[in-house]
Amino acid sequence: MKKSFVLLLSLFLLSSIMLAGCGKAANEGAPATNGEQPATNDKPSEPKASEEPFEITIRHTQVGESKKFRLALLEDVVKKTQEAVPGLKIKLDAVDSEVNRKEKLRGEMAAGKPPEIFDVFGSPDAALYAKEGLMLDLTPILEELGLKDKFTTLAPFTHDGKIYGLPIGGSIEGFFYNKAYFEEKGLKVPATLDELEKLAETIKADGKIPFAQSSKDAWIPLMTTNNLWSYYGGPEITYGFKTGETKWTDENMVKAVAKHQEWVQKGYYKKGELGFEYADMRNQIITGEAIMMMDGSWANSVFRDPAQAGDTVGKIGFFNMPPLKAGDPVVVMQDANNGYGFSSAVAEDPRKLQAVKEFIKFMWTEEMQLRGLKEDGVLPAMKMDLEQMKTTSDDPLMQDIFKAVSEIGTSFPAFDALVQAEVNTALSMGIQQIIGGEIDPVKMLENVQAAQDAANAAEPQ
Amino acid sequence: MNKALRNPLIYGLFVLPAFVLFLAFFVYPILSAMNNSFTSWNGISKNITYIGFDNYLTAFQDAAFWKSVRNNVYFILFSCLIQVPLIVIFSLLIANVKRLKGLYKTAVFMPSIMSTAVIGILWGFIYNPDFGLANEILGVFGLPQVYWLSDKNWAMLSILITNAWQWTGFYIVMVLAAIISIPKELDEAAAIDGATGFQRATRITIPLVMPIISVVIMLSMAGAMKAADIVLVMTKGGPAGSTDVMATYMIRYAITSFRHGFGNSIAVLIFVFTIVLTALYQFFVARRTERIEY
Repeated sequence: MKKSFVLLLSLFLLSSIMLAGCGKAANEGAPATNGEQPATNDKPSEPKASEEPFEITIRHTQVGESKKFRLALLEDVVKKTQEAVPGLKIKLDAVDSEVNRKEKLRGEMAAGKPPEIFDVFGSPDAALYAKEGLMLDLTPILEELGLKDKFTTLAPFTHDGKIYGLPIGGSIEGFFYNKAYFEEKGLKVPATLDELEKLAETIKADGKIPFAQSSKDAWIPLMTTNNLWSYYGGPEITYGFKTGETKWTDENMVKAVAKHQEWVQKGYYKKGELGFEYADMRNQIITGEAIMMMDGSWANSVFRDPAQAGDTVGKIGFFNMPPLKAGDPVVVMQDANNGYGFSSAVAEDPRKLQAVKEFIKFMWTEEMQLRGLKEDGVLPAMKMDLEQMKTTSDDPLMQDIFKAVSEIGTSFPAFDALVQAEVNTALSMGIQQIIGGEIDPVKMLENVQAAQDAANAAEPQ
Repeated sequence: MNKALRNPLIYGLFVLPAFVLFLAFFVYPILSAMNNSFTSWNGISKNITYIGFDNYLTAFQDAAFWKSVRNNVYFILFSCLIQVPLIVIFSLLIANVKRLKGLYKTAVFMPSIMSTAVIGILWGFIYNPDFGLANEILGVFGLPQVYWLSDKNWAMLSILITNAWQWTGFYIVMVLAAIISIPKELDEAAAIDGATGFQRATRITIPLVMPIISVVIMLSMAGAMKAADIVLVMTKGGPAGSTDVMATYMIRYAITSFRHGFGNSIAVLIFVFTIVLTALYQFFVARRTERIEY
């Protein structure tokens, strides 16, 4: 009997420990707003409530040596925001970008409890979270702060006419090229697509690889395809895929994809590039194996860093993909898809809302944008005077990028900001099949259109 | 104590904590995945729409899904037909060496304790078309360069070889332990009777370690069905999906596209296929090799 009692007692003790371990802190499980409720109820008088300490979390992705300048910039903004809002304590939560995007933030969104401020990609992520009412509508705040028209583009963060996030920086896509090689061989930056092809032919005849490209990740070759189809079909063509106004099977789309395939077949890219990593194509430029490379302007940091680029520093230039005909407007992918979003729960707490406003006020200033450009080579997400941008760096590569920005006739966002994720998957598969020579452009685009039709059907317009 | 445990109530109470954990971390996730597999849930929304078997039909009608199933089958066939015989041969060889047995065991076991990411990078160098060891060896024999991870005809084989390299050592150690545990008298008696080394290995040692070989085959099959990390590290399912297995198909077509309902249906299919396959193996093959008497 005694033994049974002891056994039962120990069992209850163990069970209690287990249940306690599985439990949550009193305020953990409840929605953020409920957690704040007692504080405001207990302290009805305004001055007292405003002095009460409170905390917000910023989920950022400034992890590692390469992002140290960006982290310092964020820390400065955090400091200023804390000083401006009495009682505010900001907790910085650093998470790797991919882990945040694909796992942590998604999990928090599914649970309905994202951090107050978080790193987010505009499209398709922000639109989906906004649709579920999980992101704060920034439109009135931007109007109040006079920031609404200050950005180059807010399209990736705009859903149903409302703005749900702000990009931290911008970028353009174009060709990095070996300037020293061009000078040595008497080559010129091409003015038309035809000239670019002749250039590629000359470089190939010289025994070099005309274009560095790594297609293990399909978004890399798709930079070239996206820019090509924006010339052949016009930059507006991509906007119509989701609404059904335009089709992937359009003859101009076929021409663009066929052109990309033709370049592959002519040997303008290194054989076996379907198995190469992103870093491999940069190495092809750095070692002098390849001469040109389509990439985002963000890659300037690699070619300006002696630790990564070695002797190539100062020898790399940048130009936009040229138009089909001389004199036609230069059409360039100019995007700003990564930035910060804010939890919709913030709107229910005036003090947190104030903290968010102050954060936006300090983060999106001309000074901070120029600092990002100077320290990191990240193009501003906000509209800025070109001459002012030029003053931030006398590096020849940065000057080339500024020149390329000044030449833009029409800009467009990357295709993945305008189509559904399923379409991006089909396109990614298709471009690898094109490069591998497994499929012809017509069939490939039919497959993409089928994915587009399915995605459009699942998402009533 | 025994008296207390004979009381069904106390017995039940002792089983309860483990049973609750089993329900919470095994049964509930499976039931939840099954439930989600009948929805068009995007992984975020509170509004969940039930769509019956649509997700399953989508998968069954998608050629890319069947391509990924075929690649899982390749994994299983490679494990059973190439890897397992090699495991047995190496185990027999190591069991019979007189010197440095510990070194051999450690050497073959080493890859299985390495991270898959490290192995991916290591073999990425070996398969590099320009300076990789694989092409260097081909070059010695005057054979042309092979684009191991870029060519869809070679990419799957490259992954299978790497995966086998990673796990062969682990299974060798298992089989080796079984071989060493066989009473020496059996082998000695056979030797005295004039049996050759080959005869002793095939007629005595292998039949006696069949139960463990059977377990190795079963573990290989289960491992092959859930393979994903090695594919992601080496090719990310490419080129153009040619090395996608069911798990990477699920990531590519469902999880990254916010199609969690569809993703759950693929997860359920992986679960069902694995259960069916291992049950069939257990029923038709493994049961016959289970009883060994010395």
